[in-house]
Amino acid sequence: MPQNKPAHLSHRSSLARLQPVDEAAFGRSMPGWVVWGTLLLVWMASLLPWRLWQPVPDLLLLFLVYWCLHEPSRVGLTTAFVFGLLMDVHDTGLLGLQALGYVLAAYGVELLRRRLLRFPAVVQMLHILPVLVLAMLVPHLLGAWLQGAWAGWGWLWSVLMTVALWPLLDIVMSLPVRQSGAGEAGPV
Amino acid sequence: MPQPGNLRLFRQGPSVEVRLVLLLVLSLALVIVDAHWSVLAPLRNAISVAIYPFQRTVMAPREALDFFDSWSHSASTVRAEQDAIRRQRIEMAQLSTHAAQLVAENEQLRRLLGVAEATARQSIAVEVFYVPPNVFSHRLIFNKGSDDGIEAGMPVIDEGGVVGQIVRVTPFTSEAALLIDDSISIPVQVLRNGLRLIAFGSDEAGRIEVRYLADHADVEEGDMLITSGIGGLFPAGLSVGRILKIERDSGTGFGRAIAEPLSHPERYRHFLVLSIEKASPPTSQEPGHAAE
Repeated sequence: MPQNKPAHLSHRSSLARLQPVDEAAFGRSMPGWVVWGTLLLVWMASLLPWRLWQPVPDLLLLFLVYWCLHEPSRVGLTTAFVFGLLMDVHDTGLLGLQALGYVLAAYGVELLRRRLLRFPAVVQMLHILPVLVLAMLVPHLLGAWLQGAWAGWGWLWSVLMTVALWPLLDIVMSLPVRQSGAGEAGPV
Repeated sequence: MPQPGNLRLFRQGPSVEVRLVLLLVLSLALVIVDAHWSVLAPLRNAISVAIYPFQRTVMAPREALDFFDSWSHSASTVRAEQDAIRRQRIEMAQLSTHAAQLVAENEQLRRLLGVAEATARQSIAVEVFYVPPNVFSHRLIFNKGSDDGIEAGMPVIDEGGVVGQIVRVTPFTSEAALLIDDSISIPVQVLRNGLRLIAFGSDEAGRIEVRYLADHADVEEGDMLITSGIGGLFPAGLSVGRILKIERDSGTGFGRAIAEPLSHPERYRHFLVLSIEKASPPTSQEPGHAAE
């Protein structure tokens, strides 16, 4: 595959001449504890009862998609699947339904990553909206088919709210990088 | 920052597409199997037990708050409760003498008829642990599980009557499907005339319904439905609901009655799970299909 590319390049490496044209995509590397820590926190927050109101944003999905975009070496489809399965058990839904949606969302972002990383967060938002709508539509259709009842469109609001939080998350997540002065890590 | 040790020239593992297909197949298989069979129960239980410590951790502040709240209001709460209980006691005194008389008379009649003695049931008090945010079903998760003797199939009641039925248990939690949930069916009878029926969860929000009502069935608006005790899971005589309306369909010859449940699972946090003896229910019964 053509996108087999080095994730980090040392100047001492003989491969330094293979520096990517656009370095912005690689400028923002988060330490692993931030990635896993935020995912764990958001997952635990999702266990709280505030999600009973259907239109609230799915923060877990938001963070999963965000890390799929920015930390593809750490967070990918498998992570999305595992977290989806955990939420399925917590929500007492059909096993694998939410996992299916999360995997599709993660794949959508994975597919668009090279394109997304060149845009500012607001434009990224416009790309991510259809990805999340489609990804969430599939489990809802499947659930409706298997359980014999359409659960309404409340989830669409949830997706809209989730996507609306994207630029905010982008700003928050780029704060620590800016402070540590690590490269040109402005709003990508 | 980039270190030589972290240098990875190629993505490791299978390509994205391969992983996508694998995970899609896996999740689809899980969904379909879980929708039709119960073979995934051990997996669900294992995950459930694994996430239980996290659930307890995040709920801890709320529990602490509740504790503090009840502690700070304890004096006024106790006074109010005491008043209510005093009033109830006066009302109950009359009823209980009457009931004792009836019990004696009933036992005598049962002996005369040779009917099996109704056994007193053990009950387990449970508290709502959380309400799962699931749009497809109406469930409650309680804070006690198989460690406290709860088993799938046991009925859950509150002061209004039947609330639902336990459908899944883990060692520390149990999941109850409410009366209004699709998966529940309860053998009931009309209090007025003893007509036996089966009540199901309804498409209408917060309602239960009696389907396949024969055209000539003697059911009226305002009739009370109580459990009939047939099937062995639900004890007889618990109130279930009140008939709101009856829709008769001359095309099919069958009607359906819509009833409102008399229990209020959304109002309280404490419920009673009634124990059922292992031997009494027929073995072919599954939880959630108790009446079929």
